[in-house]
Amino acid sequence: MYTSTGFISWLLRRISGVALVLYLFTHLWVIGAANSGTQVFNARLDAVQTPIFKLFEIALLAAVVYHALDGIRLLLIHYFDLTEYRKTLFWAVFIVSAILTLAGGIAILAIMLNGG
Amino acid sequence: MLTFKIQRWSAIALLFFLTVHMIFMHYVPPFHITFDVVQARLSTPTWKIIDILFLFSVLVHAMAGSYQVITDFESAFNYRKALAWASIIIVILAFIYGAKTIWAFQL
Amino acid sequence: MSNNDIQRTVTVRIQRFNPDVDKKPHMQDYQVKMWPGMTILDALHEIKTHQDGSVTYRRSCRHGICGSCAMHINGRNTLACKTPIINEVQKNDTVTIGPLPYLPVIKDMVVDRTSFWEQYLRVKPWLLPPDDIPEKEFRMSQEEVDALHDAEACIMCGACYSSCAVIGLNKKYLGPHALLKAFLRVLDPRDTAPAERLEIVSQADGVARCHTIFNCIDACPKGLNPTQAIETLRKLAQKRQQYEEARRERQKHLNEPIPS
Repeated sequence: MYTSTGFISWLLRRISGVALVLYLFTHLWVIGAANSGTQVFNARLDAVQTPIFKLFEIALLAAVVYHALDGIRLLLIHYFDLTEYRKTLFWAVFIVSAILTLAGGIAILAIMLNGG
Repeated sequence: MLTFKIQRWSAIALLFFLTVHMIFMHYVPPFHITFDVVQARLSTPTWKIIDILFLFSVLVHAMAGSYQVITDFESAFNYRKALAWASIIIVILAFIYGAKTIWAFQL
Repeated sequence: MSNNDIQRTVTVRIQRFNPDVDKKPHMQDYQVKMWPGMTILDALHEIKTHQDGSVTYRRSCRHGICGSCAMHINGRNTLACKTPIINEVQKNDTVTIGPLPYLPVIKDMVVDRTSFWEQYLRVKPWLLPPDDIPEKEFRMSQEEVDALHDAEACIMCGACYSSCAVIGLNKKYLGPHALLKAFLRVLDPRDTAPAERLEIVSQADGVARCHTIFNCIDACPKGLNPTQAIETLRKLAQKRQQYEEARRERQKHLNEPIPS
């Protein structure tokens, strides 16, 4: 295997993408409980808003943020000649993703601890 | 090239829709989501339209992406047509299911 | 750097695989005394000549133009003849050499490049010039030459191809080498079939498969940029008919001096 910054970036984009597809269909199923009435919906929603699921939410945030920022990197590369800055762009995506995940994650935890 | 273009356009749409969705779901009160909360939001035409367009963009992006990932493998590459049709059918079915659910919300 | 540094002995760790006797590849160490200016290829010659004649690798020109000696050295692909060994010695006094990744190993550092050449041929890598040949030469402007970004310098060594993770998953992907060559031909004002070439690279295993991992640029011993070539092809592929019409127009004046 030929590892490099670009390889890691692609691998993470792919892993986050696959995770998000699986999440998407789970999410559609959860919200689809609306078709079964208020009680079923609330039961399902309560089950996925417990503290352990708040941690999953932060993981979801990380996946979404990373995937989106790496996607923006791809759009930039598609439209501008930025190969000279490829390493900088990879690291920018990693770092900004980490910052946004941290900030968003802390907010989620703060909201949870304040009783929602 | 077509899948590539679809992927890019749905991605750009998602940059908008997903940001809106994440902010309103996680960071705008009320924070605990129940049927009443969802109903209050999705009964309005604005949110119905936003969420239906969002649903379409995300399904297209997810299936185009899954198609790309699976057909990157040489063994799956020969079944491209079948995989493409399966992706399209999944998008259509999931979209109908989701759009109907969204549309049905009313106060 | 003093002479003492250069003449020290280092360990050259080579991946060995002899299909007649080995079930799988294994690493074998050799001690090599470096001399000033020694390249990785020189070290391999030293080992083969004086220590172990069974070590097998491809080589020819030994000055970076034939493309035969591309290998995997300390985790990246490069030409053995252009890599000074002193730059590659790691902290534990070791240099690790292996065959190009993702390709079937025939023996030691010799790999089976069949898929490499098959994809290359798929893009019709030869120029398709116009029928009326000029008395002297075809005239190209400096801008037209610059737009090629030295793509003609490619020596088909395989370092880029073999560094691409997409190739690792799918040997039917055209690959950075073929796409760079397609780019060279498409942008050449002498070529008569840009729309056909753009059609070829727009197939499902063409430009859309590049995931901009950028390993190809890092690996290229000639400093070429297959990723940028692929991006350009992506853009042009969407307007191939207009591009071909512009080419026909250009070719009406191909034998005329370039206006200054």
